Amino acid sequence: MRDKANSEKIRELAESLVAFAKAKGADEVEISIFDGYEFGVDVRMGEIENLLEAGSRLFSSRVIKDKKTAFSTSSDLSRETLQKLLENSIKRASLANPDEFSGLPPLMRKKIDILSLKLFDPEIPELDSKRKIALAKETEKIALEDKRISNSHGASFGTREIKTFFANSNGFLQEYVQTFCSLSLGIQAGGTDSKVEDYWFSAKTHFKDLETPEQIAKKAIERTVRQLNPRKIKTQIVPVIFEPLMTSWLLGFLFACVSGVSIYQKTSFLTNKLGERIGNERITVYDDGLIPTALGTRPFDAEGVPCQKTQVIDKGILKNYLCNTYAARKLKLRSTGNSSGVGVSPNNFYLEPGETPPKKILTSLEKGLILIKTIGHGLNPVTGDISRGAFGLWVEKGEIAYPVSEITISGNLGEILKKTDIVGNDLEFRSPVPGPTIKVQEMTVAGK
Amino acid sequence: MKNHPSLTYKDYFHIPHDELQKILNIALSRGGDFSEIFLEYKIYNLINMEEDIIKETAESISLGLGIRVLSGEKTGYGYTNDLSFEKIKKAALTAASIASNHSKRKISPLSSTPIHHNFYPVKRPVHKEKLEEKITLVKKAYLSAQSFDPKIKKVKASFIDLIQYILIVNSDGLMASDVRPLAKLVCVAIGEKEGKREAGFSGGGGRIGIEYFIDTLTPEEIGREAAKEALNLLDAVEPPAGEMPVVLSPGHSGVLVHEAVGHLLEADFNRKKTSIFWDKMGKKVAASQVTIFDDPTIPYFRGSYNIDDEGTAPKKTPLIEKGIMTGMLQDRLSAKLMNKELTGHGRRQDYASIPIPRMSNTYIDKGEYTPEEIIKSVKRGFYASQYQGGQVEDSGKFTFSVSSGFLIEEGKLTTPVKQATLIGTNIGVLKNIEMIGSDLEFGLQTGTCGKEGQEIPVADGCPTIKISKMTVGGLK
Repeated sequence: MRDKANSEKIRELAESLVAFAKAKGADEVEISIFDGYEFGVDVRMGEIENLLEAGSRLFSSRVIKDKKTAFSTSSDLSRETLQKLLENSIKRASLANPDEFSGLPPLMRKKIDILSLKLFDPEIPELDSKRKIALAKETEKIALEDKRISNSHGASFGTREIKTFFANSNGFLQEYVQTFCSLSLGIQAGGTDSKVEDYWFSAKTHFKDLETPEQIAKKAIERTVRQLNPRKIKTQIVPVIFEPLMTSWLLGFLFACVSGVSIYQKTSFLTNKLGERIGNERITVYDDGLIPTALGTRPFDAEGVPCQKTQVIDKGILKNYLCNTYAARKLKLRSTGNSSGVGVSPNNFYLEPGETPPKKILTSLEKGLILIKTIGHGLNPVTGDISRGAFGLWVEKGEIAYPVSEITISGNLGEILKKTDIVGNDLEFRSPVPGPTIKVQEMTVAGK
Repeated sequence: MKNHPSLTYKDYFHIPHDELQKILNIALSRGGDFSEIFLEYKIYNLINMEEDIIKETAESISLGLGIRVLSGEKTGYGYTNDLSFEKIKKAALTAASIASNHSKRKISPLSSTPIHHNFYPVKRPVHKEKLEEKITLVKKAYLSAQSFDPKIKKVKASFIDLIQYILIVNSDGLMASDVRPLAKLVCVAIGEKEGKREAGFSGGGGRIGIEYFIDTLTPEEIGREAAKEALNLLDAVEPPAGEMPVVLSPGHSGVLVHEAVGHLLEADFNRKKTSIFWDKMGKKVAASQVTIFDDPTIPYFRGSYNIDDEGTAPKKTPLIEKGIMTGMLQDRLSAKLMNKELTGHGRRQDYASIPIPRMSNTYIDKGEYTPEEIIKSVKRGFYASQYQGGQVEDSGKFTFSVSSGFLIEEGKLTTPVKQATLIGTNIGVLKNIEMIGSDLEFGLQTGTCGKEGQEIPVADGCPTIKISKMTVGGLK
């Protein structure tokens, strides 16, 4: 993917396929081609376990004829296959029903300066295999040197480079290239029948921003050993502190509930709530596709709509749903640049930080739970109901007393948005859906 | 035995025999114990209906090749979706780079491995049916849910089918192929009452022909079941919270077996000693009436296959017999390193994924009680009917999310309950199994299991089961 002649070829292929579909009778057509390269190494107990390296491509298209839509994708990029797929799409479209809301977005004049987004790190393609393997080995080694660590799931280092080509029948033709790298470690502590486990990771678009092996190992150790010798607790209603990763999890659920698709489908409890108060004044949420170097940043979405910064919740008031072109037309709104192809996806969807340091949130808690991990499903966007298996740390008089396991937490997202009484100042863009520490006044924690 | 597709690799992958052998050799050029090529061609189709229209259709083609080299405990892997010899050679060299001993292993001549069984003896292959035929099924399910009750305000129905052609060759001379059909019809119905909304889900499918939707499960039934569940939930109350006796419904509760037991009996977790079962082979790990199997050979089931993704013929594999741990799910790497027999459980999501030990169709075998006897034995407890899914840690802690259930009061199912979570440790729950019903059933043939980022189709089942105590998470 690194040579220019190759890019030239793919660009030409995308453009000519748009022309081909038009000539075969499509009213509108959109083509994306992804040219990617990935490297991954898993290390366990000091030895390489898996080493993977590959280049791959993917084609994806949307064809509209008489307001009827058909999609296709292919990992086979031969011109013959792709032309056949487009012809099939046009035929299949005729079997769907016309939908007045279908159609490509109009060509937009606004253009994002792709370079200013800093999505590509030239250092990543140049990284030496030996160095990549050494990073994973080093990370695991630091953890295994700690006597409290009894076993390892292994450490992994991976990189990806993806070039996205996009062309449509409205004359849009652009491309951009992204890099990613990640380092992670999973470990266990305790004997066979009292095992606890956890992990830590860092993922970035630029290699220099990645956490060091030492930082990752230390954090994974701390997160694992703090769960040793858990107790069971009685069922009760208590305040709950969400660690940043748990806030992220909650925000992922909130995203599903403010996605324009679930709104027009009426599968979200936030349907018909635009302009209304849905949370308290501490809750301000943005989706921003233009933060330089962030993981969810991109110049335009999967339909070629330029990305933007959208205020979703302003001090508790629901301001915007996040839409692709289709959902926006259904809801008489405007696309927010959140198309993922068929549906919507977050760009950088985050809860704005408050002023309280996380330590202070802990010391202010008389009695309650720090939520550190959840497992299972148990999210219902139709009602906002949450019910999940959980792991936590029990807090008494502002201090961590002991770990707890075999509990579940239950609540409702709508209630949580109203009952969040502290928002921490520790927002870090660790994922496309990051959040700071928060404290929720009360939730049901079920135990024995 | 009849109807077995007589596929040769030439039909789908234009790579000559001698080139495959050449590639296997290149893969072992730096040493290594074993090399393997996995070729895959898959066509996937989707139809979506919502808001009373066939909204969209999609077709996807996946074509590619993965090359694996094993060297001791190490795996090297390369893949490509460009099947030119140059690109394949590059992938082979990538995989080869894992090895660094110079003892060159000889490649055995390739010989086709005959398969004498066919676990998908379909009459009318779904991938050969016209799109119109499949659209009719979607519409029938949709209308059946919509017309079930005026409180049903919204419906979504989808049909998804695929056909997967695979060819596996390896340095032991194995050459095996399979053609796997897979289809499902699913329906979501949303009911509304007094401003409250609830969603119900149902579906069916498997490695089936289109006749399944006439003979076994009609689209109308699927639509009705989704609607019924939504209505049921509209009347449901918040779940109780705390420790209590729990009765698991037959079929759907198979997810418990899958999560609480199956995953931790996958050989890789035991070889690495991360599973709590690693030192428990031959030991009592469950109540003595508990017997659990994983069986990839059940005809038409979602989790079944004629060969696994390493070319091994699968076996019905006992995991726990009368409470004693007796087996594990093996892939080639773990079986070799642990010096065990292959069981045919090496599976992968696609050509870009490394095979790992996985479940297929996992179930608890039937017991002696009638379901009525079991429910009657509970004074106050929780009956879990349907699930959203579950998850387990290697440490044995698991949860599963119950989308609908009932309170049990004085030996009877009473008020419907929604959205509860069951949590426990696997050995704790296995030991607390008190009664097992005679009514073995399997859950919806729509399930997918994720492990290490790889999604594969599975099925699971169980009879009615009583667990003497378990933690139920709820609001009350």
